Order: sequence, then structure tokens, then C-alpha cells
Amino acid sequence: MPSVSTQITVIVVGYAVLVVVLALVVALRHGERPGWLDQMVWMLEALLVVRALAGLGAFSGDGPDSTSTYVGYLIASVCVLPIAMQSIRDDRAVWSSGVVAVAALAIAVVAVRLEMTA
Amino acid sequence: MSTGPTRPTDVTEPADAPRSGPHKVLLAFYALFALAAGARALVQLTTQYDEAPVAYWLSLAAAVTYALGWYAIREASAGRTGFASVMLWIELAGVLTVGTLSLVERHWFPDASVWSDFGIGYGFVPAVLPIAGLLWLHRWKRRESAAGMPADD
Repeated sequence: MPSVSTQITVIVVGYAVLVVVLALVVALRHGERPGWLDQMVWMLEALLVVRALAGLGAFSGDGPDSTSTYVGYLIASVCVLPIAMQSIRDDRAVWSSGVVAVAALAIAVVAVRLEMTA
Repeated sequence: MSTGPTRPTDVTEPADAPRSGPHKVLLAFYALFALAAGARALVQLTTQYDEAPVAYWLSLAAAVTYALGWYAIREASAGRTGFASVMLWIELAGVLTVGTLSLVERHWFPDASVWSDFGIGYGFVPAVLPIAGLLWLHRWKRRESAAGMPADD
């Protein structure tokens, strides 16, 4: 049975990939960034906060192989999306969905790396 | 052509910067790579310096290049294209040089740098990024010229 943090990571990666695909579909259709895409991003952020809290459990026992690397990924996992959303705060044009896709893709990679370094 | 609510200009954006365009995606990539390469280089330089110092310093150089590239594209999107014209070529030269050296002189790289094997560890995005930036810059300058507002270089 995988650990709780591993299970959350699987959900995070799957959900992040879904956000990437939907953001790309919106961008390729040359539409404005819809409100529901923002809501999906913030839902992903909530999942990441839960993952980060669960990830703190890695410090019990032997701890991660490289603490600095693990902490770096942990911080990045919760900071990337808010910074990306801030950068497109006033911009709902087509390219803003591209930014969402890039940020969500980065989150999927960070979540996988977080699991590998735990 | 955003129709979103009008708010005061963000202090981190040049006042005359366009609100949207491909540069927003480029800026997102450059910010991510500056963060990723910088964190990676600092961790490796401080925890395992003796393993591959050349590779780790080159990763730090890559991080600085991405930070400068981010600034250059941000400035270019506001019409000041001079710095980006230089910086993106420097970045491309860096990726090609380090990528080639990592294949030809493997013993120089006991551990990988960000630009080793042309950025294979990052899905070759480091090799594609400066090319995408230069293409965007070329189109941007052409658009500015057509609009009668020649770029500043």
C-alpha cells in the first residue's frame, strides 16, 4: 500500500496533466481564459498544500536523502502556481492560458521529483 | 486583446509593456528555469562541490543567463529590444557550446550541468528556449517596424 503522500502525488500529477491539457485546448481555440480554468488551478494549489503538509512526514525517521533538495521541491510545489497566476492577474487573453499550461506542467514535474527525493 | 477588468499597472511590469502575447509564456519558462537551475546549482555547489565543479558552475551560469533572459524579454516586450538581441544569442551559444563539450569531453562532466547534452535532462527545453525567444524577437521587431515604431537597436 503506497504512503498517503504518494497517493496524493498521483492525484496531483493526474490533475496537473488535466489542467495542462485543458489550458492548451483553451489556448488553441484562441479563447479568453475562462474562470473555471482559474478555479481548477486554485484547486490544484489546494492539493499541493495538502501534499506539502503530508510531505513534512518525510522528516520523521531517516528523513529524505537530500534534505535541501527535498525542501526546495516542497517550497517550489506550493509557490509556482500563485506566482504564475499573479503574472497573468490582469490578462485573460489567449496567451495567459499558455502560462497556466506551463505552470501546471512544471507542477507535474516538481511533484514527481518530490516523490523521487522523499 | 484582453477584456478583463482594468487595474493599475503592476509595478513589476514596464508601464508600456503589452498586456498579453507569446512573451508571457516565454517569461514563464525563463522564470521557471532561472529558479530550477539556480536552486540546483546552489545545492550542488554547497553539498557536493568536489564531484563536478565545472558542471555545477556552468549550471549557475545557466541560471544567471535565464534570469537575464527573463529581464531581456520583459524589456523587449516594452519596445527596448537591444539587450534581448544580445542576451538570447549568448544563451544559444552557451547551450550549444556546453552541449557539444559535454558530448566531446565527457570527462569534464562527471555529473551533468543544466545544458549538458543540450538540456536532455529538461526535455531539451534549454535548447529550444533561446530559438523560440529569437523567433519571437524577430517577429516582434518586424511588427514594431510595420507599426512605425522601430525598435531601439
